[in-house]
Amino acid sequence: MSQPDPILSDDEDDKRLMALVAEGDDDALRMIVHRHHARLVGYMRGEVGSQATAEELAMEVFIRLHRAASRWRPDAKLSTYLIHIAHNLVLNEWRRRGRKPTTALEFAAEPGDQRHDSARRVTELDEAFQRAIAQLPTEQRTAILLVVQQELPYEDIAGIMGVPVSTVKTWIHRARSRLRELLKDFYGPA
Amino acid sequence: MDNFNPQPFDKDLSAALSSGREISVPGFADRVIVAVRLERRRQTVIRWSSLVTAAAACVVTVLTLQSPSEESLNRQTVALVAREESSPLADLLGIADDLSLLTPVVDKKSSIVDVLATPGS
Repeated sequence: MSQPDPILSDDEDDKRLMALVAEGDDDALRMIVHRHHARLVGYMRGEVGSQATAEELAMEVFIRLHRAASRWRPDAKLSTYLIHIAHNLVLNEWRRRGRKPTTALEFAAEPGDQRHDSARRVTELDEAFQRAIAQLPTEQRTAILLVVQQELPYEDIAGIMGVPVSTVKTWIHRARSRLRELLKDFYGPA
Repeated sequence: MDNFNPQPFDKDLSAALSSGREISVPGFADRVIVAVRLERRRQTVIRWSSLVTAAAACVVTVLTLQSPSEESLNRQTVALVAREESSPLADLLGIADDLSLLTPVVDKKSSIVDVLATPGS
């Protein structure tokens, strides 16, 4: 019985569904995945650059969510919890690779990536932004993605990244300054 | 989003990032469910195999505890070796009853000896 409840908000419905997932209800998990996967894949894509890796990591996020369903406590929104798991996986991915995606090539659209290309209609400016963001230090890139792309409040970002709010603000400020510098051809000197 | 003042740069940044905010992947939920079911099955196998391993360990422990100690085994080995070493001698000498043949004559009661030993005979 995992039909969406029209009266409940998404957050409340997530809690209800998670209780069902903890009891082994695959349909409830399917609904959670359906609701959250696009945003998660978008975030992962912004972090790692590759669509295939982004999907692989997003899948791992949901497998971990399923594994932890019985221990999950609805202290935070499920979407924030998912981004938290995703962020840890991204950090692991960088450690495993032993490097960061600093090349523009890695962030360019992949062959056959019709979904990405057609949906985004990549303009020259968009592409310049993507390349510039790829050159940011990891923590600055994560912070700017979470605040601008995922529209999370500073407090949530601080919780996800395990740092004080003031550190998040500093990273975002530095990220913006660096991006302005990298995109000075478009906006002039900062 | 109230964290930023909307300036041209921030608007463009927001537009550039927001365009990739959501990337819907057809069939993604089905793939997740398949992966979760596979993992569930793998966990079941792991649980059973660890149960079987634990049971096997218990059986081995019981068998080990019931078997003779090393000291006892040593004693048995020594006894066996001793038996092995004594058997050729026994073969040489014949059966135990034959040993009486080797008993010195002087130790035996003999009428001849008695006669010779009797003073004045």
